[in-house]
Amino acid sequence: MTGAPIEVLGRVPLFADLDEGELRKIATVFKERRFSSGDTIIQQGSGAAAFFVVDSGEVVVHVDGIERRTLKDGDYFGEMALIDAGARTATVKALSDVVCSGVTFWDFRPIVEENGVIGWKLLQSLIAIYRSERDELNGPT
Amino acid sequence: MSDVVPLRAAEDIALFGSKAVGLGQALRDGLPVPPGVALSGAVVDAVAGRDEDAIRRVSESVADLHGALAVRSSAADEDGADASFAGQHMTLLNVRGADELTAAIGEVWWSANSDSAITYRQRVGLFTRPSIGVVIQALVEPDTAGVMFTVNPVTGADERLIEASLGLGEAVVDGRVIPDHYRVGRDGEIIERRAGRKDIAVRSLPDGGTYEEQIAPELVEKLCLDDGQLAELNQLAERCEQVYGPARDTEWAISAGELYLLQCRAVTTVAA
Repeated sequence: MTGAPIEVLGRVPLFADLDEGELRKIATVFKERRFSSGDTIIQQGSGAAAFFVVDSGEVVVHVDGIERRTLKDGDYFGEMALIDAGARTATVKALSDVVCSGVTFWDFRPIVEENGVIGWKLLQSLIAIYRSERDELNGPT
Repeated sequence: MSDVVPLRAAEDIALFGSKAVGLGQALRDGLPVPPGVALSGAVVDAVAGRDEDAIRRVSESVADLHGALAVRSSAADEDGADASFAGQHMTLLNVRGADELTAAIGEVWWSANSDSAITYRQRVGLFTRPSIGVVIQALVEPDTAGVMFTVNPVTGADERLIEASLGLGEAVVDGRVIPDHYRVGRDGEIIERRAGRKDIAVRSLPDGGTYEEQIAPELVEKLCLDDGQLAELNQLAERCEQVYGPARDTEWAISAGELYLLQCRAVTTVAA
């Protein structure tokens, strides 16, 4: 199989508005990456190269040394790396052996640039996520 | 041009990366490099994406490399004089079987696309997409191995600086032991011998991977290279400089009395 499982990508909120054809296009540029239990997958503060979807296993997310949440199958992390290569905002470690599907900025960007529909839908998803997180922090405006 | 070639035929740096081309040149010039295969960045990308045709082609290409394999990164902009990525990319040893080989190539791809690799590239001013080739070689099971600089990188003196330990060279490269330290003049004069503390040796496991073997106490601080081997290394240094140019950082291994050259790259910082 080439790329990420469609059914996993379809559960990622960032890709919620994409149809199956658009999901398949994005799925082809994902690559499998495996981590052993205890591995640091991404480190807060380092440059960002890739966005990951968890295919199997469990990871834990720390921000400023404080545990925030655990992620499992179908969850994702590192999505800001798709847009810029700025510093990671969290540390993610494997709690078990983990299989992820990952995509780098370089592989994702051409798809968005070539397909304005995908780009627009992703923008809408990002805004929705942003509004949701801001409302959670400050209350709706 | 094919993008999966015998190592001896790797000549295009943009396609196969500088490590592959360097080793290919060494083979063409008669240096003792273990035989192998070079994969282009496009093939590595395809294998990492689990493209079945690419995986099949790679499996067929290594059919003559019997036994365990060493899988090494070979990026188009790695190991150049201006920006050596030594340590940023990956080497996997004792890879056995088609599935392990596919996974290993995928790991090499990710090593070039990891957060730390990208951060390093940004720091040295490389903002282009990494293209990572791969070198696959028959794994040498060494009795002793290590690194050799053809010029002293610390003092700039015109002498060979050699660090050696028992087993696979990873013990030296990864800093897992205090290696023996030798300085040999260009004329072959042994200027210095200093025993290290070699309490472990990295060895291959029968089914793949490596482990650390505890070294017998009487060998821990015993010099692991004799004068004859130092003379051979000095000759190898001279040959490397003839082929590649001055100021080389090399990795070598001695197995069953045979000296092998495993890597050769430019020294990026030499004291004035």
